Amino acid sequence: MGALANFIERAGVATASISLIREQSEAVRPPRALWVPFALGRPLGSAADPQFQKQVLRAALGMLSTATEPTIEDYPVEAPAEAQPSEWACPVSFAVAQDTSITARLVAEVTRLAPWSSETRAARGRTLFGVTGAGPEQIQEVARAFGGIAESGNLTDLPAESVDWAFAMPLLVRHLADDLRTFYHEAIAAQPGPAAPNHDALNDWIFSGTALGDASLAIAAHLTKDNSSYALLVRGLLIPEGYYKGGSAFESATGATPQGDS
Amino acid sequence: MVRLSDLHEAEATHMRARAKAMQPVDAAPWITPKALVNAKIAIVSTAGLHRRSDTPFNPGAVDYRLLPGDVDFADVVVSHISTNFDRSAFQQDPNIWFPLDRLREMAADGEIGGVSNWHYSFMGAQPNHQALAAAGEEVGRLLANDEVDVALMVPV
Repeated sequence: MGALANFIERAGVATASISLIREQSEAVRPPRALWVPFALGRPLGSAADPQFQKQVLRAALGMLSTATEPTIEDYPVEAPAEAQPSEWACPVSFAVAQDTSITARLVAEVTRLAPWSSETRAARGRTLFGVTGAGPEQIQEVARAFGGIAESGNLTDLPAESVDWAFAMPLLVRHLADDLRTFYHEAIAAQPGPAAPNHDALNDWIFSGTALGDASLAIAAHLTKDNSSYALLVRGLLIPEGYYKGGSAFESATGATPQGDS
Repeated sequence: MVRLSDLHEAEATHMRARAKAMQPVDAAPWITPKALVNAKIAIVSTAGLHRRSDTPFNPGAVDYRLLPGDVDFADVVVSHISTNFDRSAFQQDPNIWFPLDRLREMAADGEIGGVSNWHYSFMGAQPNHQALAAAGEEVGRLLANDEVDVALMVPV
């Protein structure tokens, strides 16, 4: 992000940057950067909080009239707290039927969650679901595709479901997981508690016994077994650090970094 | 909050190593921008946002996508690769990544001069900053051609 600001300024357009990782801004030295003490994925601090967001923007844009050399300022206000893992529990429970296939469990989960997802989509008037190429209503196809890969370990062939997939294998598995997470997040948003779950609370839920978490871990094991550098990269993109015990996301030797700020 | 001590140890170590390896790129001559009340602003995001009809980003992508100022967020998806952030806040409120409504409100209130008709999206997590030079300079020229005064750079 910081380097990009310098490249853009070469055309004479001034930049004001928000910075999420101060150490990286210190290294790259964008012209004007406001470091914000917010979580990754929350660069303006708080969703559906226009006044909070506007204050952040005023602080960042205000640097245009105060900075006279490359400057990093620290934003002094913390974002409103989201629910920690210990403070949030999913209001939906899933009956665990260990004798059924992971695909059947996954399809049962999305079927159970579908009414709440629909409710949230209707309230918002939009969905983020569909980066895989799936249509907004093709959650069953995405679930069957992801479950099928978890069961078969086939990391080469595109799933047979009737979707015009937007990615090749195995990268598609990473985005299948994202579409599924998007759907799950929509579902729980229909049952809001006192505070929305934070990143860790969401991950703890997914990886503590949902079929989605179990399928992700099974696919990660297949990617580990494949052992190519690209498969290991994709594994690092599939599961947040700490939730897969078969290897770190940061062991990949490929050129593209699996994780990072932006 | 993103303080490296709050991240998973392996991730924090990785971030520190990345920061240590990063080098400043050659800076442009210092720009003294026009007053905010007269400045037209565009958003440049590195969240991997794009319209459904666009080609998605792949890991290490060094190209960019355009988002129109009247973009319908029902038509936007995210092909960023990282799992170290979730999309739930963006799902709830696109402004938390892409504060178009906030900028429009600030323009309506006279705090800023205006909002660009075009905005830009890159893939983040790019380990090789120099690889972004051509696309970054090109976006700079496009912004300048649109008489944009300020690019608001928003990471994810």
